[in-house]
Amino acid sequence: MAETDTQEDLQAAPPQIPGIPAPPQLDMSWAKVPTARPPKPKIGAEGFTLRLADAGEYAYAPDHWPYENDTPRGSYPAKDRGLPAPYTIYDKAEVWAENSADLYELAIREQWKPATQISWSTIEPLAGHIEAAIDQIVSNISEQQYNSNAVMMGRLKDISYGYHEVKLYLATQAFDQARHVEAFRKRALANGGGLGVESPGFFNRAVYASFKFTELVVYTNIIRTSFLLALCEMGDRIGRSQADRQLFENTANDLRRHLSYGIEHLKHYLLTGDEQKRRNVRAWLDRGEIMLAADMRRDKPLREAFILALGDTVERGKASLRELRQAQLRKLLRTLELATFPGHEPYVNASLRDIIDNP
Amino acid sequence: MTTSPDILEQLRREPGGEDLDLSWLDQPLAERGLRVAPGKRGLTLEDIATSSYGDIPSSTDNNTGRLRGAAPRTDAQRSQMLWGSKSASWSASAMLLYEEAVQRQWSSATDVPWAEMPELPEELELAMSQLCTFLTQVEFIAGDVPGKYAPNISGEFFEIGLFLASQIMDEARHLDVFRKRALANGIGLLQAGPGAIGLLTAQDFTEMASTLHLVGEGFVQSLFRMGEMFAQSEVDKRMFRLAAQDESRHVAFGVMHMKYVVETQPERREEIHTYLDRMEGQLGAGSAQAGLTGGGQTGEALAILLGGGTSETQLREGYMKLLAIRKRQVNEYMHRLEVVGLGDRRQKIAPMMLALLDPARN
Repeated sequence: MAETDTQEDLQAAPPQIPGIPAPPQLDMSWAKVPTARPPKPKIGAEGFTLRLADAGEYAYAPDHWPYENDTPRGSYPAKDRGLPAPYTIYDKAEVWAENSADLYELAIREQWKPATQISWSTIEPLAGHIEAAIDQIVSNISEQQYNSNAVMMGRLKDISYGYHEVKLYLATQAFDQARHVEAFRKRALANGGGLGVESPGFFNRAVYASFKFTELVVYTNIIRTSFLLALCEMGDRIGRSQADRQLFENTANDLRRHLSYGIEHLKHYLLTGDEQKRRNVRAWLDRGEIMLAADMRRDKPLREAFILALGDTVERGKASLRELRQAQLRKLLRTLELATFPGHEPYVNASLRDIIDNP
Repeated sequence: MTTSPDILEQLRREPGGEDLDLSWLDQPLAERGLRVAPGKRGLTLEDIATSSYGDIPSSTDNNTGRLRGAAPRTDAQRSQMLWGSKSASWSASAMLLYEEAVQRQWSSATDVPWAEMPELPEELELAMSQLCTFLTQVEFIAGDVPGKYAPNISGEFFEIGLFLASQIMDEARHLDVFRKRALANGIGLLQAGPGAIGLLTAQDFTEMASTLHLVGEGFVQSLFRMGEMFAQSEVDKRMFRLAAQDESRHVAFGVMHMKYVVETQPERREEIHTYLDRMEGQLGAGSAQAGLTGGGQTGEALAILLGGGTSETQLREGYMKLLAIRKRQVNEYMHRLEVVGLGDRRQKIAPMMLALLDPARN
């Protein structure tokens, strides 16, 4: 921890320095601005949470945020606000999720530390092809999360300050994803193996190329997270050690929050617009599914790694891979239902349907 | 570690094995055989930056999503957004600072003793709420700015991306904790200012490190480290101590990035001086909030807190201490410049800062 200086260190400071203007007269106009006086919080078992702090008028996030700089919500805006910021998102419908503040606090409570909270020493040497298969799978997860993380971090600068809960939540998501990149890379290098082959990158490209924030959420928090969560929930069939199981379980726990933000955001987006918004979501899902299927179809190392890791024979591995793919699609469809976008199954892109049925 | 030809043959002969390619097992293109064991600090990024996985290239044509050390594929999708030069973003301290950040995460909800918040005289509570309005306004700009560059960080230098994520997490907590502090004791948020949007104008990572890390966060770090002087309770002291600890990492990251750039690209020295010229111009005491803790409403709030009230005597004492803080900020800034290799800044520094600067130690 950084050392903190004491008052005594600075007692001898000179009262005036040539070249430095004299202090102004007492003004305190800032103390008279008509902002709301919040109630005194009653601190509960979860501490002083954001939801508790943002009480009364401070809780109100308007549908449109009018200030083009970093004015905090609930403060008294300056007359001279300087440069209008490069933010592009001023409408609540574009980013809002009702659970953002709660997910933010939950994410902080549930943060885990890959360096010290994974039982790395429980990993035992494995047959070469099994270790390589696990390494290929974890390399792929590490790469996916680096892509989601990088692009999401890049979008924070687009979100205006009226929706600070969302910015805060997304910071936790980016930090979760960073830890996933790190943790799965460590797993690949911990047991006599190494990293596997990169992905074809079609889905990564779609994430980079997303035009709209909600489109990005559909790719990362809805499609990718549904598929990855279903995979992590089968992690006990892939992993061979306590460390492996911890990795998948901890990651799954994080991903449930990411999915929860995605569901609530998509719900808010859909409920605050007309039929065109549903058509937008349909288009984003179609594009995401095509790109996902392109990756799955071309990624022979990953396909074969799943077959080897999931079964003690090739046939059983193939059956388990089909089971995994079906679980992934079910997770996506359930996610969409929860986001008030039911009935997607007949519209699942044919290329994705094909690779799910014939993995 | 490779897979024996016998195993491969056996897999291909199994029922269902006829369509297996297995070339990725037969002839792996990424280095294998690493068995990295955890050390005293667990299994860290530095531990796994070993063998070929620790070779950080000075330049790369890796334009895909491939992370350093993974095997490439010829059909991978490319992005021209990714920077190929190590010097564009590298900081030798990134791995260490990232791991430290992960270990030292704290919760604004539970690690600050909010229940022990004392009632303060109204003028002091108003001043603390005003200071925290300023801090909650500017802190997440230090999240937005590094985030802007995250999509440019190639997988060859992924540790930089991870560190930036930890900084963004820290800044989120700072926005949050100072907002909570303003809302904790009955006053609420007060007067916002022009803020720190100007930092988002950075067009280059090194420009960002100069303006955000070396100047902006450096000045805030100095302020937080002296939080004992103006904190009015254990709640406030704890808040500033925890925030100072985070800011130290951000400043250290920026310092080490700039040191690397100055050492490997000395032709950029004058360019870096221009970024500092600009920032020092914005740091004048006449500016309300771009003065970073020195002038306007933030300065007045600090003076009230430092002097313990608004009487003439208290204000005089408060401004005297504020001047001492400013002096500490400027001298710590110069120290960072010397570490970076820009000690010649002493001859170029803005006049108002020069007035606060101690003589060079020879």
